[in-house]
Amino acid sequence: MESKSSTTGNRDNPNRNLHGSKTMMASHFLRALFRIQQTSTSSSSAGRSRRIRRAAYASMAYSAGTRRAWSRALLRKLRSRARLRFPRRLSRAATPQRRDMDQAQVLRKLVPGGPSMDDCKLLEETADYIRFLTTQVRLMQTVMDSVSS
Amino acid sequence: MQPSNREMPGMASSLNGISHTSAAAAAHVALRELQNGHGLPAPFDHAGGGVGHDDFLDQMLSNLPSAWAELGNPRPAWVPPSDAPTAGQRLFSAGRAGESAEEMQYDESLLLANRLRQHQISGGSSPTGEALMLQLSRSGQQQMLSGLLPLPLTLGSAGSADSPNPTGGDGLYNGFGGSLQLAESVNQQSFHHPQSAPMPGQNFGAAPPAAGAGQTPAASTLASASAGGGSGPPRQRVRARRGQATDPHSIAERLRRERIAERMKALQELVPNANKTDKASMLDEIIDYVKFLQLQVKVLSMSRLGGAAAVAPLVADMASEGQSGAGRDGANDGAAGSSDSLTVTEHQVAKMMEEDMGSAMQYLQGKGLCLMPISLASAISSVTAGHLGHGLVPGVLPPNPSGDAPSSPGVSALTAQSTMAAEATKDGVAASKSLSSK
Repeated sequence: MESKSSTTGNRDNPNRNLHGSKTMMASHFLRALFRIQQTSTSSSSAGRSRRIRRAAYASMAYSAGTRRAWSRALLRKLRSRARLRFPRRLSRAATPQRRDMDQAQVLRKLVPGGPSMDDCKLLEETADYIRFLTTQVRLMQTVMDSVSS
Repeated sequence: MQPSNREMPGMASSLNGISHTSAAAAAHVALRELQNGHGLPAPFDHAGGGVGHDDFLDQMLSNLPSAWAELGNPRPAWVPPSDAPTAGQRLFSAGRAGESAEEMQYDESLLLANRLRQHQISGGSSPTGEALMLQLSRSGQQQMLSGLLPLPLTLGSAGSADSPNPTGGDGLYNGFGGSLQLAESVNQQSFHHPQSAPMPGQNFGAAPPAAGAGQTPAASTLASASAGGGSGPPRQRVRARRGQATDPHSIAERLRRERIAERMKALQELVPNANKTDKASMLDEIIDYVKFLQLQVKVLSMSRLGGAAAVAPLVADMASEGQSGAGRDGANDGAAGSSDSLTVTEHQVAKMMEEDMGSAMQYLQGKGLCLMPISLASAISSVTAGHLGHGLVPGVLPPNPSGDAPSSPGVSALTAQSTMAAEATKDGVAASKSLSSK
């Protein structure tokens, strides 16, 4: 993957700009979308949205490659065909304790591959995960805009 | 004579904790014991001590002066200094910049500190702590002064510090832990090794005298100080930087903390509303932001259901382009192995371009496609050809509505890249919405 600063593999120099990753993400995501559209024209919308969501995370993980712990964990999860489960906090137990004593724990649940990281690594992976997440969200928004106009 | 042995572990354990208020309390207790042993009156409690500021130094100092005065008498080595404690006071006022009112209480302590300072053989930066340690060890009155050891160190530390420094607090506690260890070690061994005894003292003599005010101490530095005792000539030990210790444990700890702070800063840039008041709220923000992004992915995936049809030409073209590998050549034929829909689209676009550029653009936009100058397209393709794996070489419909034959099927392929590319087309060729950089 041609990415400007990510090929250094240097942890202290995070990949701030995802130039190369963006294109790869876009192509992968669009291909996945097409596949979904082809294969499930009449399936339920819930299943479809689930598949789209899965495709989104897949394209994120593929463009991030195996450099990152979170992408490795995500790829593992996707390959095992497990349901993409996310810690969805139900409204009923919205915020029992706002200032969590164990924020690291909460964060570990959110970031894929979290439980097996120490705090320092967790923060680093979170930063990268956020970067890719924002890129993916922007990509999806762009595709939606261009498609619906 | 004194229950110093009793109080020492107490002091050590409490000081090894993080809360300096507990340490202050322990010191207070220690003093009480000492005084009780001496039949001294109990010292005034935290008189004016900066308890509000969590100022360990304040509490210690406010508690000890009377005790010091009494304790100093029976010791031959601790001759009550008659010389003017101006230097000591100066030191003190410098160290205790914020609490000028407290200076009066420090007189005895200052005198003592000054005394020891003069006893010191050779000067060195932060000599006071070391000097005190040396004096104490040599005088052979460890037991008595175990409770007081921290004080002289803090005195020395406070004296040479001009501005309070969080890391200085580490040094302060470094001194404390070290003093306790020293006392313990000496007590355990004997007083016959004054040479070895001062060694641990060196560590916190080396510890930066940067603690102007008792800041939050680091427990690690205490442990490190105790472990730091080693060989080496007195007063020639490697001097650690201000606010740091030489022990590998504390250094690793410090390194780890720095790395975490670094990463927090990087995260701060990514997350909006990152006014880092404190780490906990920052973490909350981060957590919320990650949840929000994941929610957005979910919502967007739900709302994309209707528009999937238009994605087909996009993706189909990309797939076919990858296989053909020669988009530009194929473009001239007008049938570059692309899917039927795409070819049809192209023909339609070409036709429309002959008639009316605007409607052609609109048609393209409706399909989620765009036109792009060939130069830009080739630039993009050269950038992306490598990692896309397939030879995606999109050509471009020439921006010439003169009716030239449609030359390229690669227009649609560009959309995928252009959606993510930040560039906007320049050469007067309209770009679809997908090109607008987001």
